[in-house]
Amino acid sequence: MAEVLWGIFVGPFKDIAGSPTFFVEVLIGGVAAGLMYSLVALGFVLIFKASGVFNFAQGVMVLFAALTLVGLLERGVPVPVALGLTALVMIALAFGIERVVLRPLVNQPAIILFMATIGLNFFLEGFGEMVWGSNVKRLDIGIPDESFKVAGVLVNKLELTAALTAAVLVAILAVFFQRTRIGRALRAVADDHEAALSIGIPLKTIWVVVWSVAGIVAIVAGVMWGAKSGVQFSLSLVALKALPVLILGGFESVPGAIVGGLIIGVGEKVGEVYWGPLVGGAIENWFAYVLALAFLLVRPQGLFGEKIIERV
Amino acid sequence: MSRIGPALDTFPKLARANAERLAHRVAIREKDLGIWQSYTWRDYFERSRRIALGLASLGFARGDKTAIVGDNRPELYWAALATQALGGVPVPLYQDSIEKELTYIVDHAEARFAVAEDQEQVDKLLQVRAHCPRLECIVYDDPRGLRGYSEPGLLSLAELEERGEKFALGHPRYFDDEVARGRGEDTAVICYTSGTTGAPKGAMLSYRNLVEMARIAGEREGLHPDDEVLAYLPMAWVGDHMLSYAQAIVTGFAINCPESADTVLHDLKEIGPTYFFAPPRIWENLLTNVLIRIEDAARPKRALVHFFMRLAQSLERRRLSGQPLPRLPRLLAPLGRLLVYGPLRDNLGMRRIRVAYTAGEAIGPDIFVFFRALGINVKQLYGMTEASVFVAVQKDGDVRLDTVGTPMPQVEVKISEAGEVLFRSPGVFQGYFKNPEATRQTVEDGWIHSGDAGFLDAGGHLKIIDRAKDLGRLADGTMFAPKYLENKLKFSPFVKEAVTLGPDRPYVTALINIDLAAVGNWAERRGIAYTSYTDLSQKPEVYDLIAQEVMRVNRSLAAEDEVLRGARIRKFLILHKELDPDDEEITRTRKVRRGHIGQKYATLIEALYGARERVEIEARVTYEDGRTGTVRADVAIREVV
Amino acid sequence: MRGPAGASEPLLEVDGVSVRFGALLALNRVSLCIPRGEICAIIGPNGAGKTTLLNCISGFYHPYEGRIAFAGRERTRWRPPDVAELGIARTFQNVALFRGMTVLDNIMTGRVLKMRGSFLLDALWWGPARRQELAHRAFVERIIDFLEIQAIRKTPAGRLPYGLQKRVELARALAAEPELLLLDEPMAGMNVEEKEDMCRFILDVSGEFGTTIALIEHDMGVVMDISNHVVVLDYGRKIADGTPEHVRKDDTVRDAYLGVAHD
Repeated sequence: MAEVLWGIFVGPFKDIAGSPTFFVEVLIGGVAAGLMYSLVALGFVLIFKASGVFNFAQGVMVLFAALTLVGLLERGVPVPVALGLTALVMIALAFGIERVVLRPLVNQPAIILFMATIGLNFFLEGFGEMVWGSNVKRLDIGIPDESFKVAGVLVNKLELTAALTAAVLVAILAVFFQRTRIGRALRAVADDHEAALSIGIPLKTIWVVVWSVAGIVAIVAGVMWGAKSGVQFSLSLVALKALPVLILGGFESVPGAIVGGLIIGVGEKVGEVYWGPLVGGAIENWFAYVLALAFLLVRPQGLFGEKIIERV
Repeated sequence: MSRIGPALDTFPKLARANAERLAHRVAIREKDLGIWQSYTWRDYFERSRRIALGLASLGFARGDKTAIVGDNRPELYWAALATQALGGVPVPLYQDSIEKELTYIVDHAEARFAVAEDQEQVDKLLQVRAHCPRLECIVYDDPRGLRGYSEPGLLSLAELEERGEKFALGHPRYFDDEVARGRGEDTAVICYTSGTTGAPKGAMLSYRNLVEMARIAGEREGLHPDDEVLAYLPMAWVGDHMLSYAQAIVTGFAINCPESADTVLHDLKEIGPTYFFAPPRIWENLLTNVLIRIEDAARPKRALVHFFMRLAQSLERRRLSGQPLPRLPRLLAPLGRLLVYGPLRDNLGMRRIRVAYTAGEAIGPDIFVFFRALGINVKQLYGMTEASVFVAVQKDGDVRLDTVGTPMPQVEVKISEAGEVLFRSPGVFQGYFKNPEATRQTVEDGWIHSGDAGFLDAGGHLKIIDRAKDLGRLADGTMFAPKYLENKLKFSPFVKEAVTLGPDRPYVTALINIDLAAVGNWAERRGIAYTSYTDLSQKPEVYDLIAQEVMRVNRSLAAEDEVLRGARIRKFLILHKELDPDDEEITRTRKVRRGHIGQKYATLIEALYGARERVEIEARVTYEDGRTGTVRADVAIREVV
Repeated sequence: MRGPAGASEPLLEVDGVSVRFGALLALNRVSLCIPRGEICAIIGPNGAGKTTLLNCISGFYHPYEGRIAFAGRERTRWRPPDVAELGIARTFQNVALFRGMTVLDNIMTGRVLKMRGSFLLDALWWGPARRQELAHRAFVERIIDFLEIQAIRKTPAGRLPYGLQKRVELARALAAEPELLLLDEPMAGMNVEEKEDMCRFILDVSGEFGTTIALIEHDMGVVMDISNHVVVLDYGRKIADGTPEHVRKDDTVRDAYLGVAHD
């Protein structure tokens, strides 16, 4: 018994204090993974905010973006061009979705739209594999997966690049949402459809914009994950990790998605390394879900979500 | 102390000097359309000149009065300077006055011109003009809603300035000549004071009054051109006229006009003034605002704030009463500054404040201590319109809770036979406009009768007790200030309410209500059992406790004030029931209803002036459900030595 | 008491418009004409079809017969964003603000149609996009000043008291610089002071910007004070049309409406 308590409350902290540089390395790994989760969750949040649709296909959009990019690179297209083309594909996809899925279903209940995104999920998965093949692919965008030392701390170049890219993307999105006319229009639509229509905000355009942005976020997420662990079907499962992030951060909050992702990323890495041995490892696999469960009990609206007020 | 030379003895002359000396420094800022617009001293003077010339083109003559009405706007301050440049007298009016009040003052002041902020004021002035034909011209700043108006003599400031430009072409030296004709002893402004009784009186202040007092106060407080002031108090109030106009011009610091009356708190935060003036009401509002925000905070944060605020307030109370500071709290103070006081001060927009005043009436000690505890140098100021504001101010490092500080340099203060505060200073006004009778009543041989009762303590601090007319005298003629004694008694945590008696009696007595929570707590810690308020109130131990408090008051009376020394409390009793608004003993706002208590407790009061040690009383009480009942009690009487 | 009507052409013409909800004939061949620069009040008892008429004009409903013309061009089957693009702005009976956004953002959103520019530059908050944003902000500040809502600039709209929300909604409508302003009960639920303020603002909007205004209002005092043209609806029909004095004296109106409303 004493050993278990020691293992929970004392041992890990002794380890942390014993080798701070290693702890920092673990922390950095956690932040890098967390930002990835954040990116995927961000895609969900954007679409949910602007159209009230819970996009089940967000994970597959990540896969689809990565597949498209790899496919182009395999055909010898240079990296920048391939990135641009992938972006165009994702924007085209957004137009297609608005046309084929959203417009015919306007004013339908949310559950119908949710079902539609499940359909979209299967379509994209099948379509992607049909076009680009289903074998595991290596994605090389020219950033080596190697490490260097800063003040005794080992830093992975790829992870660093991923983290910086994610941070820049998030900053741009924040400015975009807060400061620009389209960002404001997006928020307005999310807030009150009728009023938005009356002041001349065209819903169609907003939907296309928001799905395009979600698509581009998916590219970044896909590239970063893909470069690390290869492009394969399991990439779409990243979306499953985004779910607890959303529960933590709140479905409608951009900062929530970022902070939620970081908490889960860091939490599961630190838990795995220091507390993992105690339970035989694999904390990484369930940590996020247990945390989300706890949050559902204590604070169902999430960290940054609007307080849920029961209307009587 | 530099005397005012003939060259710089009026505001137009001083402003012209600023326009040269401080040409590119900001004189005035105004938040307009969401952005702070700045005007330099050169702009300040130039715009005033154009307005003055415009007025001249309309036939403005020396001695004419200009009524000025509106929120604090640069244009209105310029209109005041323009009027003075032409030898006229600005008469600032309260912007929220109703038409009737405006009519009285405009008529009494014989204003020929009026400068108004906007349509709202113009509408009122047009009504006023129907009764005061002397009012010829109404100039407005904000043209909104006024385009359709075609009344004669109504024009916009822009039009006025345009006229001024044209007039200047024909009269190139007119403005400079008029400015040069101004003298220090001319009337600079007429401030109407809204007396609680009777019609408003127009106090005439000369240039010399205002310039000298501005200079004296500026030197004592170390004001300099880098200071920033928020001009948010009514322009008609002499406080704003002194700070935002006289001191701004004399010292050359910048004033900031808020966007609107509703945005003052926000603008305060954006500007972060260094010199700040507010009546107690504003301090109260600020405090309420802070408290609300603290209550909205998350629990741990709230607890932290409460902890450090209690700490700081108890420290500050000790500091203000000159007691030594305990070690531990003193060591914690820097942490509090980092975590609580600094952020709170920032949040209020008071991070940069060097000097802040509270004036106009007495400030609640808790409010005063709160802001001082935050590290804001707020000080009590005692002043009057008739004194060009400054009479006494607390000195930096010598601030106390119960005095209004020491007289300003060149201000003499003395106490009359009757206990009234009298003073004499370079700021003593010229008299009330067209009211020699009132002037005679107020000024005697250059001494102003303040109407306040007070005294100077051993350290030379002025202490204001009460309004002079509320003072009473014992049968032998000794002076007695009931409210002053009662406040001293109530300073004790054990005393909730106190009523002192004395006028035309041989000595002073007191009826006391104990604070059930505080005394109950005290009793429990000493193992004194009690069943009810009535029971507790009559315990001999409680009488001992209160007797100590009464003796403390008597001691402080003897130590501090000559005048009131004779009015020590000889006997007291503790009332068997709490004074209750339901029983009409106090008002809902907790003001003692003396008359009613005198009748109701006549037996008790007689006993206080008799030889008995106990007295029986029956009193009717009203229960919360409206039923009435009788409480019978045996009340002890205690004499203190 | 005629407005500037005589001199100018009609801005809005509604000609024989009918709207049906199932078996209910909400509007029955209603015709009216609002000249430029006029303040036109549409009054009538509850369920008279006033809001329906407004919704028709702003494109939320489409009439099954009749025509609507704006600035001389027929626009019967327009949709809300097109209507906005044409220069018609409106407010709603039950305030439809973007509750989570600040007052400033709400009003800025009202300018969405006046903004142009590249999506990418927008996203980067750079170059012309930034300049454009600042220019629009300056315009919005004029409206904020005009409606005296400086103190609540940064407050989320949902947290404001009702009277102020109505004022913000008017501000958002004004931000689009409309030619025609449709106000659906701008003074509902307000106290006397707020009503006076709103009246002043409506008159000022008309006076300063020359905006043509059509408003629905129940308070007859207000209607008589500020409008120069009154249209009375009852059970989907127009029963009177003319100056306030004319309408006040009309017997049909008195029977159908005034008697009902004043109980």
